[in-house]
Amino acid sequence: MKMKKGSIVGIIILVVIALIALSAIGSYNDLVSKKEDVDSKYSDISVQLERRADLIPNLVNTVKGYMEHEENIIDKVTKARENLVNAKTVEEKANANQELTTSINNLIAVVENYPDLKANENFINLQDELAGTENRIAVARKDYNDTVKSYNKTIKSFPKNLFASMFGFDEADYFEAKESSNEVPNVSFKED
Amino acid sequence: MYHLKRINYLILILLSLFITGKVNALVNLTDKFYINDYANILSSETEDYIYEKSVNLEKIDGTQIVVVTVKNLEGKSIEDYSLELARIYEIGSKEKNNGLLLLLALEEREFRVEVGTGLEGILPDGKTGRFQDKYIIPYLKENSFDEGIKNGYNAFYNEIVEMNHLDLEIAEVNQKQEPLYKLEWLIFSGFIGFFVGMYSGILKFKKIPIIYFATILTFICFLPNSFSIYFIINIAAFIFAFIAFGTPSIGRRGGYYGGSSYRSNSGSHSFHSGGGGSFGGGGSSRHF
Repeated sequence: MKMKKGSIVGIIILVVIALIALSAIGSYNDLVSKKEDVDSKYSDISVQLERRADLIPNLVNTVKGYMEHEENIIDKVTKARENLVNAKTVEEKANANQELTTSINNLIAVVENYPDLKANENFINLQDELAGTENRIAVARKDYNDTVKSYNKTIKSFPKNLFASMFGFDEADYFEAKESSNEVPNVSFKED
Repeated sequence: MYHLKRINYLILILLSLFITGKVNALVNLTDKFYINDYANILSSETEDYIYEKSVNLEKIDGTQIVVVTVKNLEGKSIEDYSLELARIYEIGSKEKNNGLLLLLALEEREFRVEVGTGLEGILPDGKTGRFQDKYIIPYLKENSFDEGIKNGYNAFYNEIVEMNHLDLEIAEVNQKQEPLYKLEWLIFSGFIGFFVGMYSGILKFKKIPIIYFATILTFICFLPNSFSIYFIINIAAFIFAFIAFGTPSIGRRGGYYGGSSYRSNSGSHSFHSGGGGSFGGGGSSRHF
């Protein structure tokens, strides 16, 4: 039985097409899976951020009774919480979260001067809950950034980068606070 | 020649064990798994006590309470150390994520309770902090480590049993359904083993042309990139096993994806290990 040259070429072409199709399918599924990981971990962060925001009103009420002249510091916490609740993008949330952390740390530092407050059971419970939530945020952030790294790598690697742009997969943002949110704001002196 | 193959097999297995079994700068959990007194502060009575209770608790619904004491945290924060340890060993069952890790760092004088995601409901952060303050820290401050840890262990144990309404009388015959081989692993290595077997003349199907082999290989190269170099080394080990022995009888737990370690176990069935539980960072820490 002789095999015609034409059919051999035909078979090879078919095989090549099949391979390309298979790798496209494989790539697409991989991208979908990794994007799902990113989204899922992002929602984990959001859950923890919300939880942290929810703890703040209770914290504020507890300390207000004891720290009557520290309105400035307490207000900063309230304001930072508002910013966090209103934040939309990954970057906004990361920055707002950082700001809230700073304001809470300042508050806790001042509590050292109020031993009654420090010993208050409700306050101790809140501190543990806050510390726990901050830890969970840190963990969720790390987990999220790991998925982002994996996803972004895949998008940029060959041959998947070809399929990524074709299927509409964009790079994901890391969850990290901008350096500038830790800067001291500039005070400008106007010349008269 | 048969002996040579055996040696290759052993070398590959050992090699892959060392490579995948890495635990960076953390202690390894002992064979007892539930009690790991590296700081040497617990009496053997307390160690046995904790071990027995944990073993029995696990039989009921998979809850795993692990106690670890370390001399120091090797420069890490206790939160980082504890989470990493809990995650590497996947304490708690996969279905319920009911793992609990009690960690004491002697030099830093810190104690942490790390709560698995499935236990967060009954052990919220505030409660774990209160438990520490009430049952553990006062003793640790006086350097009564043995008493403090045993006391704390009991407090958490009882709370879990009570809140989860666990029936201590019944030790469920909870055979973990976790397969020794992950399915994809098995299929993939079966593929390779089949083709290698074919071309080394051991299997009988000599007539299939090489183009099919090449096709499959190309296909495999484009599969999702979830295999790491360690995975490949283990596949190679599996091939040798396939060739040399037919079906290897080593028992292995999963956990290659994500770099977690496993502990191979040559035949004995009494070792304990994590059930696949997850951790999200819940718990509390205290300085004493």
